[in-house]
Amino acid sequence: MRGPDIQWYVVLSALLFTTGALGVLLRRSPLIILLSVEIMLNSANLLLIAFSRLHGREDGQIFAISVMAVAASEVVVGLGLIVALGRRHIELDVDKLRTLRG
Amino acid sequence: MNAAAWTCLLLPLASAVAITIAGTRIPRRTAAYISTATTMGAFAAAVYAFVVMLGESPEQRAHATTSWTWLSAGAYHFGVTLLTDQLSIMMMLIVSGVGSLIVAYSVGYMDGEDEERRYFAYMSLFVFSMLLLVQGGNLLLLLAGWGMVGLSSYLLIGFYQERASAIAAAKKAFVMNAFGDATMALALFLLIQHTGRLDYAGVFAHSPHGGAIANLIALGLLGGALAKSAQLPLHTWLPDAMEGPTPVSALIHAATMVTAGVYLIARCHTLFENAYVVRDLAAGLGAATLLMAGLIALVQTDIKRVIAYSTMSQIGYMFVGVGVGAYPNGMFHLMTHAFFKALLFLGAGIAIHAVVGEQDIRKLAGVGKLMPFTKIVFLIGSLALVGIFPFSGFFSKDSILASALAAGWYGQVLFAAGMVGALLTGIYAFRLYFIVFTGEPSAFAREHFHKHHGQEGPLSMRWTVALLAVLAAVAGWLQFAPLWHPLTTWLAPVAAPTVEPTNTQEWVTSILGVAIGLAGIAIAWAMYSAKRIKVPKPVTLFERKFYWDELYDALFYRGGELVTQAFSSLVEKPLIAGSLSAVTGAFGLGSRELGLAQNGLVRSYALALTSGIAVLAVVFLAAR
Amino acid sequence: MANFLVWVVWFVAAFACLASALAVVSFRNPFYSALALIGNLASLAVLFLLLSGEFVAAGQVLVYGGAVMVMFLFVIAYLGDRTEDSPRSGGPSWQVVGAVLAGGAILAEVIVVVGLTAGGFLSKPQQITRGFGSPEAIGRLFLTDHLLAFEVTSIVLLVAAVGGVVLGSHARQLESSGDARA
Repeated sequence: MRGPDIQWYVVLSALLFTTGALGVLLRRSPLIILLSVEIMLNSANLLLIAFSRLHGREDGQIFAISVMAVAASEVVVGLGLIVALGRRHIELDVDKLRTLRG
Repeated sequence: MNAAAWTCLLLPLASAVAITIAGTRIPRRTAAYISTATTMGAFAAAVYAFVVMLGESPEQRAHATTSWTWLSAGAYHFGVTLLTDQLSIMMMLIVSGVGSLIVAYSVGYMDGEDEERRYFAYMSLFVFSMLLLVQGGNLLLLLAGWGMVGLSSYLLIGFYQERASAIAAAKKAFVMNAFGDATMALALFLLIQHTGRLDYAGVFAHSPHGGAIANLIALGLLGGALAKSAQLPLHTWLPDAMEGPTPVSALIHAATMVTAGVYLIARCHTLFENAYVVRDLAAGLGAATLLMAGLIALVQTDIKRVIAYSTMSQIGYMFVGVGVGAYPNGMFHLMTHAFFKALLFLGAGIAIHAVVGEQDIRKLAGVGKLMPFTKIVFLIGSLALVGIFPFSGFFSKDSILASALAAGWYGQVLFAAGMVGALLTGIYAFRLYFIVFTGEPSAFAREHFHKHHGQEGPLSMRWTVALLAVLAAVAGWLQFAPLWHPLTTWLAPVAAPTVEPTNTQEWVTSILGVAIGLAGIAIAWAMYSAKRIKVPKPVTLFERKFYWDELYDALFYRGGELVTQAFSSLVEKPLIAGSLSAVTGAFGLGSRELGLAQNGLVRSYALALTSGIAVLAVVFLAAR
Repeated sequence: MANFLVWVVWFVAAFACLASALAVVSFRNPFYSALALIGNLASLAVLFLLLSGEFVAAGQVLVYGGAVMVMFLFVIAYLGDRTEDSPRSGGPSWQVVGAVLAGGAILAEVIVVVGLTAGGFLSKPQQITRGFGSPEAIGRLFLTDHLLAFEVTSIVLLVAAVGGVVLGSHARQLESSGDARA
């Protein structure tokens, strides 16, 4: 294989995942949180593809495609919720959206 | 015979039940008549049984009839047995006879009272209970009757429910009697354990002779007798019991219930002879009581209290009598005392009734001038009480003292006490008579005295009192020990005396008794009537009733309070209440702390997730 | 030479990836964040190509970039200007600390794992044929070994589509009835 070895991709994936996680934890707008979740999913995809290349089998790529489909579905539902919130003129701030408080 | 016994017992019970069930549907007078009629019916049945018994020979006279087996447990069987023998028929006659007179008196005394029906129901209940006590053929029925007379006494003392003092007095009487009941029950337990039975014949034959068990049994029975008869040290309830209506004081606290202790000792004399120490103790306590009560009666200002302490004193005499072994003499004094003490109470009742319920002798002073009939009957009763010939007290009281004289050195000490007591009796009895029934009426008496339809009192009150006066005058002639003694002969098969005074002792005692009694009367006359001697200031010790109430209050009430307070502060609050609040506090604390994690913020939930994943990753990797 | 080129491409793509990811979580304007994510997706597609996943790379660009991101941009445009004044969590300060620590821990763990246990293991990639990662290979696997995953994924998409419609229509009903709860 040409270029960097697999561990480079693994480290990159980890960095991406951490970035996405920080975005989920530290941002207030649900839109940005959703985008950060996308980053995390993509980092997982990268890892899958990398290991698929390592083992010489495409199963990892199949998994990655399924992840993409699921991510798309989840974005649909998440955006639907956000649009519903926006229509009711509720402030898009997860600090204020506390009805799940136990 | 047996039918008569059952009739005598059950008629008053039927009356009590009927009056209770009928309630307000019958007029008050009807309830009064029902009660009176049934009590007289019981007396008639008792008379019938007595007449039949007279015709039998002495050995045949004990009739026991069992109705059904009440308790049956393993080898122990206790039946509902009535025993009609010489001793119980005597008590039946006294209880139903004097009871009928007093219930009849109540018809007039309680006339117009709102709760009249309740009164007569309780009175019938009492008569039934007392008859059960004396007719019971085994100690279990005696104990049942014992408890029930205590209940009736409680109900009747506290009859005037609105008065807090009456309620308190009723409770006091009941609690002290409950103590006596407990000691009696313990004695019965011991008897069952050692003889396996409770019927009189069996118990007397098989109970242990001497030894600790016999002493304990006799002591337990004595405890009950002391409580019921208001002797030292369980005497403090009797003066307070005067809160009840006057006929109640006459019937329960003079004539019958308080004499139950004497009856008990006479009936179970075998058990007391098996424990001479306890019998001597009974006599000693009787003597101490008669002296103490006599001293206290000297300074009382309530007419009923004077007569109550007099009762206590006279029962002391009876205890001395049965304590030295002169059972027939003790019973004889019981009978005469029933007559003259009831007479005194009922006579005082007429005076109280006529002067708007006033009981203070200073306010009632001189009312005798306005009530000659009452004055005469009260005089007869007082003379009988002091024991002046030819009235009844002379015959009975002096025979007791003669028996004491014949009972060794201890008996002679009791004799001396009895003589001093006779002096005191003379003084306090005639102090009462001279203050209330002689001299000029006080302003209060003059102002508030009112006649009842032109007479001193209602007819029912007058004829019953008159009859009692006759009995108090002549009943003593039944037995004059040196010369004739049919009563002793009658009772001998059941309660044979263990001490026989000589004729000399009898005569000496009689003459001495009369002399000392007259001396007492003379002193009282000098102080209160002729006013020759100045009345000394009342001794505080006597006025405070020898501080017995204060002693019991400090010992039991304060002691009990201390114990409960200690438990409350040391055990209940920290441990029990504290543990409960600790549990709830722990739950509250836990939920508050855990609730901090439920703040509804998505990011904190996400943080929790992330941290959890991190920990799990470490765990998985470490496991590899 | 070819190896060198690959390294260069890799570094550029990796750098662009990380930079755009940081941009996504940093920008205040969600529109800019969405654009940054598009850049992230594109660079990831390049990395996929380097790993011989051609079909996946194409799918990434088409699905993610062409559909998902377009949806995002539509919604952001619809919601209007939502530039935040204080984008960071106004919540408790310990959130920040905890988040940083958690993130750092994950990073450290993964790097340690990689370095210690998989060091030798990861540096021996298999030899692959020309058809590796081609649509034909992917399609064959989808329809043979992973048929269940294929079918289930389609159901998931169906459910999401229905959900989207429900959420959208519900909102429209309430709006038409004059409900304006804020």
